[in-house]
Amino acid sequence: MVRKRHEKKEIALAAACSLLAIAFLTFYIWHQAALISLGYQTSRLEEKIGQLEEEIKGLEIKKASLLSLEKVERIAREKLGLVEPRAEQIIYEDFRLINDDD
Amino acid sequence: MMTEPNSFFQNRVRKRTIILTFFFFLWFFGLTLRLVQLQVIEHGRLRTAAVRQSQLKSKIVPERGTIYDRRGKILARSFPTPSVSYIPSEEESLPQKLARIEGLERVLELSPADLKRIKARIEKGETFIWIKRKISPEKAEQVRRLGLSEITIQEENKRYYPLGRLAAHVLGGVNIDDEGASGVELQYDAKLKGVAGEGLFLRDAKKRHYHREVLKPPTPGQDLILTIDETIQYIAQRELERAVESHGANWGAVIISHPPSGEILAMASSPGYDPNDFSAAHPEERRNRAIQYNFEPGSTFKIVTAAAARESGLVDFTDTFDCSNGSIKVAGWTISDHKKMGVLSFSEVIIHSSNVGTAMVGQRVGPENLYRMIRAFRFGEKTGVELPGEEAGIFHPLSKWSGSSLASQSIGYGISVTAIQVLQAMNVFANDGFLVPLHVARETFDFSPSLQASLSPGERVISGETASDLIEKVFEKVVLEGTGQAAQVEGFVVAGKTGTAQKIDPATGAYSARKHLASFVGFVPARKPFLSMIVVIDEPKTGLHYGGQVAAPVFQEIARRVLLCLGQTPQFDPAKKVITAQLRENISR
Repeated sequence: MVRKRHEKKEIALAAACSLLAIAFLTFYIWHQAALISLGYQTSRLEEKIGQLEEEIKGLEIKKASLLSLEKVERIAREKLGLVEPRAEQIIYEDFRLINDDD
Repeated sequence: MMTEPNSFFQNRVRKRTIILTFFFFLWFFGLTLRLVQLQVIEHGRLRTAAVRQSQLKSKIVPERGTIYDRRGKILARSFPTPSVSYIPSEEESLPQKLARIEGLERVLELSPADLKRIKARIEKGETFIWIKRKISPEKAEQVRRLGLSEITIQEENKRYYPLGRLAAHVLGGVNIDDEGASGVELQYDAKLKGVAGEGLFLRDAKKRHYHREVLKPPTPGQDLILTIDETIQYIAQRELERAVESHGANWGAVIISHPPSGEILAMASSPGYDPNDFSAAHPEERRNRAIQYNFEPGSTFKIVTAAAARESGLVDFTDTFDCSNGSIKVAGWTISDHKKMGVLSFSEVIIHSSNVGTAMVGQRVGPENLYRMIRAFRFGEKTGVELPGEEAGIFHPLSKWSGSSLASQSIGYGISVTAIQVLQAMNVFANDGFLVPLHVARETFDFSPSLQASLSPGERVISGETASDLIEKVFEKVVLEGTGQAAQVEGFVVAGKTGTAQKIDPATGAYSARKHLASFVGFVPARKPFLSMIVVIDEPKTGLHYGGQVAAPVFQEIARRVLLCLGQTPQFDPAKKVITAQLRENISR
């Protein structure tokens, strides 16, 4: 009878240990899986950041190209019909005689 | 009864166990031998083969530094662009390999020359072959859709020049490997290109990349800021191209600088090219005439003779020279003026650019004084501007001067100079006698557009008194009443000197009456100059050929626009001579 009770205790202890081990392993695997998943997510985001940075650079080049003075002048002349001001059309607000500096 | 069958059964099991153990041992022994063969005997060969098949080490090209103008506008920037390469499989036969490339012919628009090159490399057994480099992303996507296993698409950096031809000669260009080939791209290549890194690609059995590891990260190139101003460069380049075209000239060059700092604000050379297509440009188009072309300057060189005359104290402004003959003979060489000018003072000799009078001034100055002054202005040596391929000009030592050298060099013949040397010399007058070296790149990373004097005053070449006297009594008057009147800018006092040099005709070996080099060098305002400029036009062919007719108007137009764009208000109203003020509303009408 004593031997039988002892076996039951052992079984219970073993079961508890097993459950604990399974729980720990489950947690560990879940933790690792979460880490890997986050790693993939981070990697994807870093890739996305890289792509967006490249896109920004590309857009800056495009912007510089579109704002080139040659293009601006061509649009001003051909599309907007603007002309260069004549000398007498230019009025200086801050007009000083050269002697003012002396 | 019970023991006999048991014993029989146990014996049978034992026998079977022994046989099984024996076979198992034999199998294990065989396996061990095989493992020893693979892991020990053939270890080296197999390891090399495995690494070659599954790993590929490659250089990671760093991003090349960006080049900006003084206001932070992008002049050159690198951007990742796809390139198509081929890693031939060892299992494929030669016809299979060639067929694979032919499959790409239409998509990548491969030329017969491209195909020939690729086939030759396949036949040679090369392990890595570029099919087409730096293609558009759309084309790369089309190649990807073909799903060819040995064809890989990798990114390389391509250099973009968003402003096209603007400042092409200053920027230069890069070759297919993104290495500087000319201009500041070459001069600052080490700084711009950075340090390459190393990457490891892991490949599967079909040589497809499935993982990339960075073994050594690349160090990106440093950015560079130029002293060039995009707007001023645009104005200079446009006006120069107009002048070269309207005069049917061979070429032209313009340099604009800020004398107190020595900063070059614009440098244009015509004909030009688009650095985005550097390799396609003709070498003559790529030549920067502002620094890479030696020419006899003619009358612009009289600024040096005038400086020598005043510095030596041998010629006064009121001293007179008889130029009434219209010509003078020196050591068998006839020097003549375009018309008889009568008796002229020293000032008038330079103002009206009399060759006869200047030769007489030179003779009074003497060879030693003139030679010393030419050396002091640093003719015959490179200015040191940070651009490759600069010419030093041709200036012979005094010991090699002939009987006519003094007279000829006084009027700018018998000596070869570059446009930048003449501008540097003119800046000496603008800087009260100090020579401030010219430069195109900023030492610090600073986008400040403001123009400030150099911290170091430079080296003194002539006295401040000589500089200011010559500006006031000669160079201002060249523009006000002399040969450079077309360089006048309304509201500003301009100082300058014209030049019209006859060129040697290669056919006859003598000076041609039809081939000229027209130039104008000057600065504005004459007092406290804000900008200096040289304009050179080679062989104008529309009848006008004098520097005052061809180059001075270009100076005027560029100076007028640049002063406007820099917000420089005129110093005086040439019509009213009074201060005027207008309401802002009126401006928009």
